[in-house]
Amino acid sequence: MKPERESSLVEVLDRLLDRGAVLNADLIISVAGIPLIGLNLRAALASMETMLEYGMMEAWDKSSREWYARQEAKIPLRQDEVVTFKAFGYLWQEQGIIRRWVPGVWNVTSSRLLLWLRSPGEVVFEADLNDICKKRVPSLTMQRQELELVFSGGSARIYLSEMDELEEAMERASPVLAVAMTAEV
Amino acid sequence: MMPNEAFDKLFDKVPNDVSDKASDKASDEARYLYCIVNSPSCGQEHLGNIGIERQAVYTIPYKDIAAIVHTCQPVPYDSKDPRKAEGWVLEHSYVIDQAMKKYESILPFSFDVILREGDSQIEQWLGRNYDRLWKQLDALLGKAEYTVQIFYDYEFLKAKILMANLDLNDMQNRIENESKGKAYLLSKKLNQIIKRDLEAESRLLAEEFLLQIKEHADKLVVNDRPSWIPENFRDMKLMASYSCLVRKDNVDRLGEVLEGINSLQGFRVRFTGPWAPFSFVDFQGLA
Repeated sequence: MKPERESSLVEVLDRLLDRGAVLNADLIISVAGIPLIGLNLRAALASMETMLEYGMMEAWDKSSREWYARQEAKIPLRQDEVVTFKAFGYLWQEQGIIRRWVPGVWNVTSSRLLLWLRSPGEVVFEADLNDICKKRVPSLTMQRQELELVFSGGSARIYLSEMDELEEAMERASPVLAVAMTAEV
Repeated sequence: MMPNEAFDKLFDKVPNDVSDKASDKASDEARYLYCIVNSPSCGQEHLGNIGIERQAVYTIPYKDIAAIVHTCQPVPYDSKDPRKAEGWVLEHSYVIDQAMKKYESILPFSFDVILREGDSQIEQWLGRNYDRLWKQLDALLGKAEYTVQIFYDYEFLKAKILMANLDLNDMQNRIENESKGKAYLLSKKLNQIIKRDLEAESRLLAEEFLLQIKEHADKLVVNDRPSWIPENFRDMKLMASYSCLVRKDNVDRLGEVLEGINSLQGFRVRFTGPWAPFSFVDFQGLA
């Protein structure tokens, strides 16, 4: 049996949109009404990580910043809630047989920690900062430290390269919140 | 099918763009990255105006590797018009195909990977990641990605299960003679058992096929949700879909194994390739 160089448009799109190496990408296209998850977010977001790391973002011109602003605008924030830190990272998810690292952007806001998936545009994890206990734990599968979070709704395991910065941002935001809560009571 | 033939003609006729304009462009421009290749020639090479929207595609070399790019604005290709977006993706795919023909090893990038930097910064970026990129290119040398999909005929396997199991056969016969209500319950039960047995049977077979396939593939990934099945396979059920990284001298042997599966009654195999190793590039942790 000889392999054939036969490929449908859908397969070509699949290959080029869902696979291959990524540093920066985003686009959702639809073919005949079927939405294809164009470029999965991992893509666009991984690029930000890489670019931030190498200071490429500094040189970003107005149009690309506007483009990112457009992409980022949708995170549903509460009234008076502001984002104080964001970085690309992962959340460990176990649902039945699905066990995987979900890529997204970790946001520390003035009151919450949340993981934002740009497409389909949803918050896949959120917890109140004053309700989180966190602890560095060694990874089960890789040589790295991960962060274990315990909160009243459950627990989670997360990873990002800017773990120190995330923890700092959480600590910066949380005491203020604690003081405010006490004052209200 | 991709409009390769038309492109091929274009590719052959367009003389190499030898101007150095691309590398002298102002810094507000970016580079659209198609792939990274092994390029023993060291110097910059021009592949012609074969890129997205006929952009001039060229290499940015560093030692014996090179990035294949075109100069673009630092904004992603984004369009509400699916036809336009498809066109871009096909054009990207065409550049990858050409690169596969020209270079021995290739790391394909996803669509819309844009580096907000000029040639010299990208050269430095290649330099910073040289060891990692080189290792990956070296590991992919002489190999390509192939897709293997195995389909089975549900009715055929069902009949086989019924034949093999006398109890089930008996149950089937009873259904015909029972009252309506009882027949309904019995047939529901029978279908459940068949489904269970069929799953068990196909799992066993899939494992057996997988072992045979793995023997001739350097790496293999399971595709859990193929988005498209060709027309002539649609009356069958998909049992398994794999992307395999295969050494050139192993392709015939893999073909033989697949021929064996394809010739089993109730089974058919779809074998496509060679493709650029889209499923086997790992850029985690790239600097």
